[in-house]
Amino acid sequence: MKKFAPYLAFAKKSFLGRSAYRFDHFMGIFDTILRIFIFWEIYRALYGGRSEVDGITLTMVTTNFILSMGLDAVFFVDDYYLPSRIQSGSIATELLLPVSIHGRMLANNMGNALFQLIFHFVPTVAVSVLVIGIAAPAEPLALLLFLLSALLGYGVLWTISFVAQMFSFWLINIWSIVTIKNSLIKVLSGSMIPIWFMPDWMQEVIHFTPFSSIYFMPVQIYLGQLSLSDILSSFLIQLFWIAVLFSFGMLLWKKGQKKLVVQGG
Amino acid sequence: MRNDTIHLAGVYTKTVMKSWFQYSVDAVLRSLAVFIREAVGIVVIYFSMLKFDTLNGWNIHELMFLFSLLFLTYGILILFFTGMRDFWKTVRDGSFDRFILRPRGLLFQLIFSNADWFAAIGHGGLGIVLFVISAGKLGIIWNAGTVVYYILAVIGGVLIQGAMFVFVAALNIYLLQTDSLVTLFYWDLRKFAGYPISIFHRAIQFCMIYVVPFAFVNYFPSQFLLRKEDMAGYPAVYMYLTPVIGVCMYLAAYGFWRYSIRFYKSSGN
Repeated sequence: MKKFAPYLAFAKKSFLGRSAYRFDHFMGIFDTILRIFIFWEIYRALYGGRSEVDGITLTMVTTNFILSMGLDAVFFVDDYYLPSRIQSGSIATELLLPVSIHGRMLANNMGNALFQLIFHFVPTVAVSVLVIGIAAPAEPLALLLFLLSALLGYGVLWTISFVAQMFSFWLINIWSIVTIKNSLIKVLSGSMIPIWFMPDWMQEVIHFTPFSSIYFMPVQIYLGQLSLSDILSSFLIQLFWIAVLFSFGMLLWKKGQKKLVVQGG
Repeated sequence: MRNDTIHLAGVYTKTVMKSWFQYSVDAVLRSLAVFIREAVGIVVIYFSMLKFDTLNGWNIHELMFLFSLLFLTYGILILFFTGMRDFWKTVRDGSFDRFILRPRGLLFQLIFSNADWFAAIGHGGLGIVLFVISAGKLGIIWNAGTVVYYILAVIGGVLIQGAMFVFVAALNIYLLQTDSLVTLFYWDLRKFAGYPISIFHRAIQFCMIYVVPFAFVNYFPSQFLLRKEDMAGYPAVYMYLTPVIGVCMYLAAYGFWRYSIRFYKSSGN
């Protein structure tokens, strides 16, 4: 336990640091609610009074948006954690510290994520449920499995960012890579269009990418769309992607470290 | 207007371009990233339309046309009004104080010493791509009348949004911190602007028409060319107002700017 103490301290620090910017935080909540609201209005118009399309009800669609955009706010990743340290050169001294820089990064992100869960997810979902309404979880167990799946989904999102950040060893500026990565996640994870409504060929492609395991798997579990064996295999898929992406990131990290040149001093 | 104004604007533009394209690989990547980031919204609509065919009577090409006006106007806008969008930064880092000391108009300097070229290429490029894909498939008869209307609508759309930026920049002189205000009134409302506003709640339609008139940037001009059924809910004259509103809003914002600038106090260093 003693080994984790410094990381807990880092997580706590980033949690507390968040409460300093109140107005920005309220704007963030407003932004998420607005996005949910826009998609609700669009899909109401698209459904045009129909109760279901391809077996998907409008309530399922709005539940998908509320949960995936809510989780999107919780799943905090700082894409510039390593890049900013590599650019400023402070990584040189941080590598000498007796704590792992990756552990610090994760602790920092998770402290933020916990803050977002309590002060962003809860109010956003509460307002959305009051104004729009949400489907109840298929059964109590589904809610529990949803939470577990969401945690693994965060792991997948985090390791994708982990890999992207490693490119800062080779590029001066990774803003473009991060922006393209986040755009891909937006479309392919189902947070802007439910994966049910994508063309079949696109769904096939998405199956071979890590993106659907971020938000869509938890949402499907919440709605009771997966059988127990499907749920188990979805967990395995998530773990598979976390392992693959993390190993790839570490490989790049080892290569990058050898190449690291800190400018100035 | 002095006779070297155009020359000076040219020198400024050249210098700004040079600084933006300092790292050429990075510049290409950045423009591409902006393009992809903005195209995401279109891809989502494209997929939805494959499934649902129409959104309140609008098909995929009509929606693309609606979007193209939004992107095209922003691409042009950002060549001229980046300095207004980022005015609060100029004030905060003190470089506005330097502008005041120079023997040229403040608005002139702000406009020509800033241009977000990545956004211009990303947004403008996407606007052109969408226009090319959709314009031929809509049954719009392109004759002298519609072409002139289209050009005036684009200019009007640029002026409407430019006026918003100038207005917020003038407000910044009193409030010092306006970036959240810009997010709320510009970026958040713009999220609605890509869709036919008739699908939204009455309150949002009201905001889009009378408060921050994005509806005149793309919805009403598109209606003039496409004549969709949902136009029945609005006065027909709105289809012709874009250039008028653009000029009026811009003059009003410019007047407010000229008035406010007298109260400018340096933020100090």
